[in-house]
Amino acid sequence: MVADSKSAFIDQTVVPGDVVLDLSSMSNHTIKLGQGLRQDGDVISVMKAGKLRFSKPNKYWVESSNKRYVPCVEDTVLGIVVDQKADNFLVDIKGPTLAFLPVLAFEGGSRRNKPKFEVKLNRVFAFLKMGVSSSFTNKQGLECHRTENMVKSAGISSEKVLLLLFSECRFFPFSELNIIYFPSQVGKLLYVRVVKANADMNPELSCTDVNGKAAEFGPLKDGYMFESSTGLSRMLLSSPTCPVLEALGKKLSFEIAIGLNGRVWVNAEAPSTVILVSNAIMTSESLTGVQQRIMVEKLMQRVQ
Amino acid sequence: TSTEKTGLGSSIESEMEFVSPEGLRLDGRRPMEMRQIRGEVGAVSKADGSAVFEMGNTKVIAAVYGPREVQNRSQQMSDKALVRCEYSMANFSTGDRMRKPKGDRRSIEISLVIRQTMEACIMTHLMPRSQIDIFVQVLQADGGTRSACINAATLALADAGIPMRDIVTSCSAGFLNSTPLLDLNYIEDSAGGPDVTVGMLSKLEKVTLLQMDAKLPMETFETVMQLAMEGCKAVANYIREVKNLIIQYPLLCTTREYQATGISLWCIAVHQGNKHEPRALGSYEDWEF
Repeated sequence: MVADSKSAFIDQTVVPGDVVLDLSSMSNHTIKLGQGLRQDGDVISVMKAGKLRFSKPNKYWVESSNKRYVPCVEDTVLGIVVDQKADNFLVDIKGPTLAFLPVLAFEGGSRRNKPKFEVKLNRVFAFLKMGVSSSFTNKQGLECHRTENMVKSAGISSEKVLLLLFSECRFFPFSELNIIYFPSQVGKLLYVRVVKANADMNPELSCTDVNGKAAEFGPLKDGYMFESSTGLSRMLLSSPTCPVLEALGKKLSFEIAIGLNGRVWVNAEAPSTVILVSNAIMTSESLTGVQQRIMVEKLMQRVQ
Repeated sequence: TSTEKTGLGSSIESEMEFVSPEGLRLDGRRPMEMRQIRGEVGAVSKADGSAVFEMGNTKVIAAVYGPREVQNRSQQMSDKALVRCEYSMANFSTGDRMRKPKGDRRSIEISLVIRQTMEACIMTHLMPRSQIDIFVQVLQADGGTRSACINAATLALADAGIPMRDIVTSCSAGFLNSTPLLDLNYIEDSAGGPDVTVGMLSKLEKVTLLQMDAKLPMETFETVMQLAMEGCKAVANYIREVKNLIIQYPLLCTTREYQATGISLWCIAVHQGNKHEPRALGSYEDWEF
């Protein structure tokens, strides 16, 4: 590569507006621009703050660590189901828009065996129709006492809510309790793969790999999920193995799922292991390899 | 001493002295000297991007959420992102406790102004059908809150990783006692003289915000606006240095005190007077897990 075709800002911090390359001074080259850079006429300028990186022969991009995620094809992410439509689940992947996960995008998925995710959020609409008896034929005489209950956590089951409502009923003779029960499959944590990602459309996900096998994708049971930045996820997924994961793996046994959208899920036998691993990972983003190992050793000493 | 409303060479006996014969202002600055500026990134951990920005005694906090799903479907735009901005002043930010911190006409106007300024620099077409929320709150008000809010919003947007054309910075300038003054504080602002606020894309040198109170003759206006633009460039230089530190240490909020002095009209000579060493939050050994 000719010397003048390389930017002076490589491996340096850049902020939006910085001009990294001037194409008018360069001869016939093809430059590939990754995220964070844009072409503005004859110059290449920066859109996002971060470190400018260069890879031979001609790739430039800005590496930044943010809390929001930009969906890219073939990324593996951790999503949370927010809603269910006719054909898709709506999944939140911390991107600009919600993502669609087709109901059939599971191994052996067909119309007959649609996945049923554990019900975590129930919506119970109940209302009491006062004074219902055969003598009231027109609706004007009726008073509606409507109660709306939304069970927010998994602690209260839907059956208990119904029992509460039944107990309230006995104060109102000659009334009718109407219950409309919406079990919804929301709130489930999934490990998914991004299949389609355009800025103009909602991203599309899949719970199978390229060949159609399940391959570890799908809902994640138990464990603990925390949110961090995309830079931390990339560091954890780098090869050779990230020092903090290596140091933790030598002493503890746990399982971990890392989403490129900044979400990390940890599961282990004992909750104390989960807490230790989560804390170690959360604090390791700004440490060097050696510092990470020392930090993990100190954590272990304090626990033992 | 009474203050004149126009401040345009009115009778000398009734005009308060904002620039002493030696050339010092009420707080000891020179006419073309900015107040001490300080910026810090990552103050609000829950937000996608946040920043605190101080210009002298004016202190402002900005939080950015997004790009995320639009909450009000009717406002969704199919080709670009929706930018919402809310400006509010804390009750305790002014001398007397404020009764209505937001929703009054001034706050709505400044919210609109900040939104238009930031919308000009955010590349909204890259994130269609999404929403970006910018919340700025004034913690201490001592003149120039509008400018401090724009500077804080810029830092917060850069922290959130939202694609931008350039860094928008803002500064205000006025004209009192026949002298152009840079970066007015509250006393100088309420003197009734003209107050020119300029918001500028620093590298491209394009003006995205230009507001003025009161009146100025055209030639004087040119001078005052140029002065404000130089102030914007000084703030942009400072922001470049703040970003440098933040990207290297993402979890540590380091702050540097930076004094921009001696700004002449046509060139910035930035004097790094009280530059402290970057202060980390202790080393990793001191951290309690």
